[in-house]
Amino acid sequence: MFNNITAIAKNTFRETIRDRILLSAVFVIIGIILFTLFIGSISLEQSTRIIIDFSTTAIYALQVFVAIFIGSMLIYKEIEQKTLYLLLPKPVRRVEILIGKCLGLTLTTILVTLLSTSVLLAILFMRGDTAHTLAIVLSVFLSILESIILILISMLFSTITSPILAAVSTIVMFFVGHAENIFRFIFMTTDSTLLEIIMRGAYYILPNLEKFNTRNDIVYGTLPNTPTLLITIVYACIYATLLLFVTQTIFKKKDF
Amino acid sequence: MNSIVISNLSKSYGKEKKVHVVKDISLAVLSGTVFGFIGPNGAGKTSTIKMLVGLSHPTHGSLSVLGGLPSDTAVRAKIGFMPESPTFYKYLTGEEFLDLVATLFGIESKKKRIDDVLHEVNLTHARHKKIRTYSKGMLQRLGLAQAIINNPEILFLDEPLDGLDALGRAEVKKIILALKKEGKTIFINTHILGDVEEICDTVGIVDEGELLVVDTPTNISLGHKSLEDAFVSLITKRREFKKN
Repeated sequence: MFNNITAIAKNTFRETIRDRILLSAVFVIIGIILFTLFIGSISLEQSTRIIIDFSTTAIYALQVFVAIFIGSMLIYKEIEQKTLYLLLPKPVRRVEILIGKCLGLTLTTILVTLLSTSVLLAILFMRGDTAHTLAIVLSVFLSILESIILILISMLFSTITSPILAAVSTIVMFFVGHAENIFRFIFMTTDSTLLEIIMRGAYYILPNLEKFNTRNDIVYGTLPNTPTLLITIVYACIYATLLLFVTQTIFKKKDF
Repeated sequence: MNSIVISNLSKSYGKEKKVHVVKDISLAVLSGTVFGFIGPNGAGKTSTIKMLVGLSHPTHGSLSVLGGLPSDTAVRAKIGFMPESPTFYKYLTGEEFLDLVATLFGIESKKKRIDDVLHEVNLTHARHKKIRTYSKGMLQRLGLAQAIINNPEILFLDEPLDGLDALGRAEVKKIILALKKEGKTIFINTHILGDVEEICDTVGIVDEGELLVVDTPTNISLGHKSLEDAFVSLITKRREFKKN
């Protein structure tokens, strides 16, 4: 089982990193990070803050792009272009294909994150700022966990619909996932029982992606405490497992 | 001994307006023989082969491949499948793709086996080239290479000669005939009848999802100029009969 998963992951990783769309996106993001040097230089005494804010947001945008757009194409392309016809008749289980695909794209996300984060850290190092390094590393680590959840949501949608609809649905889930506090506010303040039940249900069922957002705290040097960090990691693991379970249940029954 | 046994196999798609693509097909393929599943486009050939290799599930009936079910990975470890006009991961090289397939089959001496199959299908020169640069003939041969890499007991080939020029067809046909000589059980879907007579021991003619006849090409051609003539006559008569 492990051999099959790693082989498919390696294949997915190779295929995605050679994709020109991804390469172009990486160059654009690195360009934006370098451009923050200029923006920082024209902002009065806020240069470090500007560089960190712009760059971490750019890195995050790159991760979200990989997860949503490449993720939603991942399974659909296999079905539409019939490359799955070459994989499924082999002695490989369908769940291994899903895990391998997710792992491969996660490796791609990690690689592009490492590249872009290295550029940011190099800029800060050259400016003599090493105080924010750990906060940046922890922030991009948490956003990689968010990416894994987004990849699995994209894969779930792409097993049941077209890549455009899968991407749109994942984008909706992305925004909803970052609006959990609104659900919470509504169910805590509303007088309507029905609305309270719906909002409470949405709050607990939909992914809470704000858990992975520490970008606003980086410039203040605030680090997430260990229990919060551990709870976030456990939450990501449980949510990813549930998504994988639902996706594989649909994928297992699918006719090609 | 039969390698493939199909009993009352049916497949339909759609919930409200059902489309029946395979209708109550029963047949058996003897081990070590080449079976040609022939029929016009849309006859249900690909739908049948998809069920035989585990890509889709029968609506009714049963099938057995090497005494087991295609959903069993142990059965799939012993079969090879080449889909119609196979599409590959375009950013991988031929060798990288075969390495993936060899890993999925758990082949131990991967390097040697990849060298052997690349030599067998005459693709050694293109092993390091990206698949997107391959010609149609090269893609068909890579399709065959991935299907035979595990030295399968049964080989399922869906339109292996489709879209190839005369030279490409001769190359692929040569490989299939060599595999036949090795005693492999081969199940071929095709609508190119000229090649069927040369390659197949037994032929099954299918039209609109129904199996019309199973016999040797010689017996089917009896009283006709060729197998193609017999095929056209059979299909036309059946359709006229159904119309009336």
